[in-house]
Parts: sequence; structure tokens; C-alpha cells
Amino acid sequence: SESRAEPETGASNIVSTVNLGCPLDLKFIALQARNAEYNPKVGVYVHKIREPRTTALIFSSGKMVCTGAKSEEQSRLAARKYARVVQKLGFPARFLDFKIQNMVASCDVCFPIRLEGLVLTHQQFSSYEPELFPGLIYRMVKPRIVLLIFVSGKVVLTGNQVQHTHTHAQ
Amino acid sequence: MASTSRDGLALPKVQCPNHPDAILVEDYRAGDMICPCCGLVVGDRVIDVGSEWRTFSNEKALKDPSRVGDAQNPLLNGGDLTTMISKGTGAASFDEFGNSKYQNRRTMSSSDRAMLNAFKEISTMADRINLPRNIVDRTNNLFKQVYEQKSLKGRANDAIASACLYIACRQEGVPRTFKEICAVSRISKKEIGRCFKLILKALETSVDLITTGDFMSRFCSNLGLPKQVQMAATFIARKAVELDLVPGRSPISVAAAAIYMASQASAEKKTQKEIGDIAGVADVTIRQSYRLIYPRAAELFPPDFKFDTPVDKLPQL
Repeated sequence: SESRAEPETGASNIVSTVNLGCPLDLKFIALQARNAEYNPKVGVYVHKIREPRTTALIFSSGKMVCTGAKSEEQSRLAARKYARVVQKLGFPARFLDFKIQNMVASCDVCFPIRLEGLVLTHQQFSSYEPELFPGLIYRMVKPRIVLLIFVSGKVVLTGNQVQHTHTHAQ
Repeated sequence: MASTSRDGLALPKVQCPNHPDAILVEDYRAGDMICPCCGLVVGDRVIDVGSEWRTFSNEKALKDPSRVGDAQNPLLNGGDLTTMISKGTGAASFDEFGNSKYQNRRTMSSSDRAMLNAFKEISTMADRINLPRNIVDRTNNLFKQVYEQKSLKGRANDAIASACLYIACRQEGVPRTFKEICAVSRISKKEIGRCFKLILKALETSVDLITTGDFMSRFCSNLGLPKQVQMAATFIARKAVELDLVPGRSPISVAAAAIYMASQASAEKKTQKEIGDIAGVADVTIRQSYRLIYPRAAELFPPDFKFDTPVDKLPQL
């Protein structure tokens, strides 16, 4: 038994990458900027801003990963804000190749789901191993995303890179 | 004497000239084939293909007199025929420094050495949990397929072997829990699970879902429960799943809770801890599942079950 009845949906996380286009001195930025931590073992620094609430990992090569945004627009905005911060510290930052890598969304179909039945009918797409993980892992081919389906009726969708196909899959 | 071959039908057929239909009897000691009807010796100097020596596994003779070595395993090895030089005896085999000449036993089939190693490992693991030969053979086959495909080449061979063992047990209809396989392998459950999914994808097979009944006979006999209790537990678990009283619970936990309920209702009471030990589930997990099935306990028991402790006296946790 599957979904399609009054789902409440919401994108919960978006991961994106952007290239700032210039090498950065991480220690300098970490010392100057607020809310930034430098992790020399990994070679990256972690910068958090409050509005929109996101976290960015910035590498010394100038590449940056931005996580935690709730929508595409917010992710882009947040990435721009990080770039602005870096720019203010004196580096010639630019905004190249902004690309959304991953979007996670969750929704609730509001009725319990029989996972065993689902795996019997969609064997080549589903993987259900109750010993390993209580949810069923459904890999939809078109659009190419992964859904984690739980008995309670909650569904988590992930893996997609473009939003409208996300909602289409829902 | 033996009739010669005819052209067209290639194989020479040995048959008695007087009684072509008679089935010949072999006489091992003389190496003859004798016609039972007239007693004519039809074929002589028949080569005995039996083994030259009988080898017993518990005897450790100084040297193994067999000149043919172990049985070949052509299905799995790619049939290599190599020559090995064994350690020499006598003075002539040592050169001037006291080292033996020809010291190397030439390495055999280096490309498949890892595979042979893995087969040995599989055999050891299977031996620890007393798995029958057919499961071991199936595991070996699976491993060979995965190994040749090379898609999982980066993973530890032991992990792949353990996952193959798990899949083979599933395919034979007697699944073992991941924890049971973990117990005989050095690989963590997480890694075995990962390899398991990768192998399923690589070989493009799938496995059936595990059910509660698959484990009942093993768990119950390990606990020493009589057949009545085992049948009752199987029934309870199946009913519980049918009525969907335990959504989202792993079948192992449901099975453990069913065993607990059945054993508590009979004369052979087992504690949650004992059952948890055998099944590999935590006793709080059994408690949780038990709480879910307890309310409908009366319907879950099979109709012909003899209660030692009636349903309303079952412990409530």
C-alpha cells in the first residue's frame, strides 16, 4: 500500500557547493571571522551563520560546501553571505559554479505502511532488511532518488538535485 | 574378448560375445570383467581406479603416502595443474651451505591464492556453527562469482566471505541472523551488512524476507524447549505478525517474545535474559515486543495448547 493521500511535506536540508575562485588562508579567516572554527586535522574550517541558519565548510583551495538550508533560494543566499564575509576579509572571492548537490525532504502519508508487501511487489527497487535498518530503502529509477519508508507512514526522500522533480516524486 | 568400436558410434562397448545384453560383473581382485551368464572373462587387466591408500583424518603419519594429492576442485579453482617440489630427504638434496636445493615449493596459482584462502576461511566459519556441506558449497560459488566480477575488489575478503555465507544461508531457506554470522567472523555487523547489500547488487539477485518461523527450531532447541512449546511459539509469532500487533519490529525480536510467552505458559519457563542470549536480542527489546503482544495473548495461542500457567497468569512486564 503506498502514498498519495494528504501528505505533509517539507524540504529539511539542502547541500550545495560553490567555488570561491581564490585560495584562502584559513587560519586568518578563522581568527577574524565570527562564528568560525578551524580544524587543522581535516584542513578545513567550519563557519556557521544564524540567518539563514546554515553551516559552511570552507577549504583552503577556495571551495566551499554549504549545508543546512531549507530551500534552494536560501542555500544560494547563504552561500553568497559566506562569500561576502570572505570578501570583506580581503580575499578576491567570486561566486563560481554554484551547484546543489543534495536535497533531503520528509513527508508523512498519515497511514501505516506494510513494508513486506511493498518489498514483494517492487523487489528490484526495494531493499528491506529489518535486522539492519527498520525502514525500507526504495531506490526510484526515474527520478533518481532514494526514499526511506517507515512503517509509521513517514517517508524521507533524498538524493535529488533539482527541486521540482522532488515534489513530483512526492 | 571385447568387441571393437564401430564407426559412427564412437565408444567401444565391452560386451560378452555370446550374451551382448548381459551386464558385466567386475572382479576387483583379478582386474577382470566377467559375464554372469556364461562366466566368460570379457575384459582383463582392467585398471583399478580406486584409491591407492586409505587416509584417515585423525592419523598423522609422518608422510602421506598418497601420490595423487587432494581431490581436485575444478568448479571453483579454474583447474590448475601445477607441479610442486616437496622438501627433499637424504643428503643429495642439500647443497654446500646446508640449505636445501630447490628450496621453493613453487607457489601454486598465485592469482587464485586469495580465493583459496577465502574458501578455507569460509569452511572454518561454517564449521563453527555446524553448517551443512550444501551451504558451504553455495557460499563458495557465490564468493567465486563475486571475486571474478571484481566489483567489490576493495573490500576485505573476509567481509565478502561472511556476507556470502549469510546470503547462502538465506538462499537455502535457513537464514542465520547477522549477529550469528558476526559471532564466527572477525568482521563487524555493519561491514557485513554493507558487503551484503553490495553483493546483492553486484550479482543482481535478491533474497526473501526473513520470517519468524525460520528461527524457531534453532532457538527453541538451543534453549531445550520441548516440541509443543516450539510449535506454540511459532504459532504465536505468526499470528502476531498477521494481526500486525508488532509493526516495525524485527522478526527476531518478535520471535524471541513469542518464545518467551510460550515458555512462560508451559512448564519450561525461560527468563528473558536466557532467550535474549540465544537470539542475540537485548532483553529490553524482548520486553518491548512482549508488551505489544501481551494484550491479545489469549488469541495468539494455538487452540490445542496445554497451559501450565493459564493466560491470565502470564507475567506482565
